[in-house]
Amino acid sequence: MISDIVVNIFDDLTPLATMIILAIGALSFPAVQMFIKKHTVTWAYATILVVLAFAVNLVLLIDGIECEYLGVCLSPYSTFMALLFLTVLFLVVLVSNSSTETTKNHSGAYYSLLFGATIGMVFVTTSTDLLTIFVGVELTSISSYALVALKRKDGRASEAAVKYAIIGGMSTALTLYGISMVYGVAGSTELAEIAQYVTTMTDTPWILAIGVLCMLAGYGFKIAAVPFHMWAPDVYEGAATPVSIFLATASKKMGLGVFIQVFLVMFIGTTVTGTIFGETFQYIFAIIAAVTMTVGNVVAIAQTNIKRMLAYSSIAQAGYILIMMAVMTPNAEAAGLFHMFTHVFMKGGAFLIVGALICAGVGEKISDYKGLAKRAPVLAFAMMLFLFSLAGIPPLAGFTSKFFLFASAVGVPGEASGAWVWLAFVAILNSAISLYYYARVVKAMYIEKGECTDKIKIPATFMVAIAICVVFVIVLGVYPDLVYGFAETAVGLI
Amino acid sequence: MIPMEFFLVLAAILFCIGAYGVLTKSNAIVVLMCIELMLNAANINFVTFAAYNYDITGQAFVIMSISVAAAEVAVGIAILLNAYKIRKTTELNDAELTTMRW
Repeated sequence: MISDIVVNIFDDLTPLATMIILAIGALSFPAVQMFIKKHTVTWAYATILVVLAFAVNLVLLIDGIECEYLGVCLSPYSTFMALLFLTVLFLVVLVSNSSTETTKNHSGAYYSLLFGATIGMVFVTTSTDLLTIFVGVELTSISSYALVALKRKDGRASEAAVKYAIIGGMSTALTLYGISMVYGVAGSTELAEIAQYVTTMTDTPWILAIGVLCMLAGYGFKIAAVPFHMWAPDVYEGAATPVSIFLATASKKMGLGVFIQVFLVMFIGTTVTGTIFGETFQYIFAIIAAVTMTVGNVVAIAQTNIKRMLAYSSIAQAGYILIMMAVMTPNAEAAGLFHMFTHVFMKGGAFLIVGALICAGVGEKISDYKGLAKRAPVLAFAMMLFLFSLAGIPPLAGFTSKFFLFASAVGVPGEASGAWVWLAFVAILNSAISLYYYARVVKAMYIEKGECTDKIKIPATFMVAIAICVVFVIVLGVYPDLVYGFAETAVGLI
Repeated sequence: MIPMEFFLVLAAILFCIGAYGVLTKSNAIVVLMCIELMLNAANINFVTFAAYNYDITGQAFVIMSISVAAAEVAVGIAILLNAYKIRKTTELNDAELTTMRW
């Protein structure tokens, strides 16, 4: 009898499992840090919790479990995204112990904030209501502001944190204003009911259009889409490198997840019935995607700081992923999800190497990378792999996912076929531009001679994290079905 | 009964004042206050729609958004305080800080 009740409770809690595990960590790290003053213990505890959460999600994904409890809706899509966030969290936590940039005396707060931000992300992808999405996004954002500011003595970091907090606050206000308009018109904050309203409305109320535009701008800040991208380079450059990894890969994917959930659910009905509303927004997304990738790539050429260059390249990558919002076919969505996943390993790996080299005393300037191939041949080779993968050179993961993405834009079935060929064309041109600045780093590492010729030793945890990224960048390039199959299932059931 | 438009226009005016302040003011504290104005404009919207549509969701949303705004300002002020310790100013467009404005 009692055991039945217990089993029932545990069944009900399945959708919350990931968040509960992470919340246990987030709430207990400061205490652990206070009583056991060893940084390594907190680190090991955090690593174990992440692995546990990852294992739970892996089981959920393979079983394809769907269930709902207290408005938290578990679907293959949310599990897929949760795995993505947990992968990033794992990589970040793994290297945090040995990174000299991660403030060691604040490690309890540091891990709490990391875990808190991840809870927000997981929460967002499991929500079906604008209210919960809003709260989840805020949980992530507020934790991220504090994470950036944790490098307390550093002027650049505190400056970046101020900028991030103010721009983030403004984007929150914009989003909230937009949501209030949508709520006023549709009479509900539930995504399904809003979709229902949008499908059945006869003409577009202008107040709804303004609301959706405000939401678009607000969430556009979160993914750093042009023209809302100005904070990203400063923040990624100013923050400690593990935090930059977290923001550039996980936080941005959360924003894209919100785009998928909110806008896809709202518009898929409208494109079917052929109202102006959905199609207009498809064009808006297409323009944002094209402008974002172009600006990101062109500005990246001029950068001399490698973290800043990677920041601009990650703006460009968000532009590629936004193609899926313009094309809006299941194929494009699956390819977009897949590109998000490969992007974690390419961009995460590149940032990891930058972080490892900062620990070893190498500077952040691209000119500091001269002669790196002699000093650290393995690292230089891994860096080359990541950069070429970002540029989209076969047979690496970045090529495969980009290929899927562009192919989905070209091969739109039905009457809209051929409508997005220009977008794919712009994206391919952009890939060519991006190769220039990636190749510049490779040239500095392999061809140019540096003044310093000492061998570089980097911490073992960095080595492990980089090795994981290398393996995935190669394996996903050769055998994409490993992840792409799951992405397809995820998209089919959003 | 007061027409709904009155409240919506009030909220819109408040939002615009806030947005104007965020974009033009150079003191970070004032900018944070302007962000509060924008958030409260949205709150007025929510309450209005909730009252006129006889729907409770809007009020629940407002309670959530008030607490979120409080958390946001708390973290924002803490960050500003930390920056103030290093830079001895809360002005956003100092001559030496070319990166601060967007």
